[in-house]
Amino acid sequence: MLIVPNQEEIAHHTDKTTPFKWSFEELRKIPEFGALVAFLALFIFFALSAPQFFSLRNITSLLTIIAELGIMTVGESFLIIGGEIDLSVSGVYAMAGFVFVTLANILTFPFGSLLAFIIALLVSLLIGFINSQVVLKGSIPSFIATLGMMMFLRGILLGITGGRSISYAGDRLVPTLLTGIMAYRFRPSHFWFIAIVIIFSFILNRTIFGNRVFATGGKKLAAYTMGVNVNRVKANCFMISSTLAGLSGTIAISRFNLANVSFGQGMELEAIAAAVIGGTLMSGGYGSIIGAALGAGIMGMVRTGLVMAGVPSYWYNAFVGIILVIAAIVNLKLRSTILGE
Amino acid sequence: MNQKQPLVRMENIQKRFGKVRALKGVDFEVYDQEVVGLLGDNGAGKSTLIKILSGVYQPDGGTIYFQGEKVKINSPEEARQLGIETVHQDLSLVEKMSVARNFFLGKELTKEVGFIEILDLTKMNYECMRGLKQVGVELRSPTEFVSTLSGGQRQAIAIGRAVYFRARILILDEPLRNLSIREQRTTLNHIQEARNKGSSVIFITHNVYHVCPIADRIVLLENGEKLGEVKAGELTPEEIAECIATGKMIKEERKNG
Repeated sequence: MLIVPNQEEIAHHTDKTTPFKWSFEELRKIPEFGALVAFLALFIFFALSAPQFFSLRNITSLLTIIAELGIMTVGESFLIIGGEIDLSVSGVYAMAGFVFVTLANILTFPFGSLLAFIIALLVSLLIGFINSQVVLKGSIPSFIATLGMMMFLRGILLGITGGRSISYAGDRLVPTLLTGIMAYRFRPSHFWFIAIVIIFSFILNRTIFGNRVFATGGKKLAAYTMGVNVNRVKANCFMISSTLAGLSGTIAISRFNLANVSFGQGMELEAIAAAVIGGTLMSGGYGSIIGAALGAGIMGMVRTGLVMAGVPSYWYNAFVGIILVIAAIVNLKLRSTILGE
Repeated sequence: MNQKQPLVRMENIQKRFGKVRALKGVDFEVYDQEVVGLLGDNGAGKSTLIKILSGVYQPDGGTIYFQGEKVKINSPEEARQLGIETVHQDLSLVEKMSVARNFFLGKELTKEVGFIEILDLTKMNYECMRGLKQVGVELRSPTEFVSTLSGGQRQAIAIGRAVYFRARILILDEPLRNLSIREQRTTLNHIQEARNKGSSVIFITHNVYHVCPIADRIVLLENGEKLGEVKAGELTPEEIAECIATGKMIKEERKNG
């Protein structure tokens, strides 16, 4: 049976040739479908169990947490889709924060914080580049290379600071632009996060680079034999992951006005969990940036929602653990037909 | 046919992997619109030879001439730019991507929106279906994932893609392996179609019965060396199989006797 789509029909459906039908079979093909359902279900659950959960004040403070984890998750998801993993994101997060605070405190000329911010992002980019070269030139798994980088970065910070915190004393330009409080307690970071989700979702789904990220993560050798420079694709993904982690770190430090060595410890696993909850497959080649954002949203909701529902915050990890495993199983089941796994 | 200039000529190609000499100075040429069978037992060096031609490996010695000009093929990307399209065994399609995204992988179609170059998915979907129809491949939708398709359909997509991009040389590595009898026949038809549309075809296999019905010429490799070559109809498949099994050509003997 051959159905050749006509031009007109295609024109209405960018990546589809048949009209979209509201069936489960169609819905499950959307990578972020599972995450969206879970997100809404949890939202309704917490809104019902804790009356103050659905208040503007809580929503905005929730967004603050989600934005910081979410920006890191977007980068991590991009890299996982490209077939690698980055455990050093939390180390980069802390390192970028420290570079930012230290330089902003030294650079006292007008807008010194902006220069400090740019350098902090460049340092993050450089760490991502080093990660990629260690993985690609050294032919070792990214799990090991970036685990080493994480320990190395934390070790350096501890060595230099001796464990002491550093307060932010620079100008207010960058902190205001990143996370200054606006009307109704919204913060710019909420909007930066949304912008980043839109931009990187677009890059992944609508550009040549994005197409090659999917291909490289899905089947590296096939991509290579079709003429894709897979090493360059992977290096770019490592740099995206690291730079977004650095941005996330500078946002968090700007909010706390304080840099500490233990800052963001364990956050790499939260970002990976959020990516998986968002529908990204650890095997690479499949995933969604919008899903990553929803995954980070679920993590943030669970964190604050549990407290509001009267559950001690110590239980947070237990809940996230269960959600993570359920999400991984459900996502795989949803994908089973289209991935043939 | 041999008086004409070959489309591609590989001279004295050598390749070693550590201590193993996979190719010990092989000469190989392909003429315009010719189907060449590259036949040999496992480990004869067939795949190594074509991976050099398709840019996956770089030779340790030897020269490649493309349309009479000496070329160096440093990557699959450069091979594709010369018009050398390869259908590697199980390696040409990404299962977790749609047919259309696979079809244009490495040669994506784009359009400009403002200053940004973005994928033209509409055109990719349309052109993919049109290109596949040309080689007689029928698919429900270009947005289907490759993982949902049969082995024969996947082979057809890979061949259809090569034809679409007007491959000068289409290299097929064991194209009939793991296919049903019916799919084998369809794939052979696709190969004929590719040749009729102007491609030369290199057909790699270790099964003489796969290649005999379609090849104009069969080149036999043995232990990293060229054992000899046979024109279509000169020897029966059984005799060719005997050459591979014994490692000796029997063409001369028959002529004399």
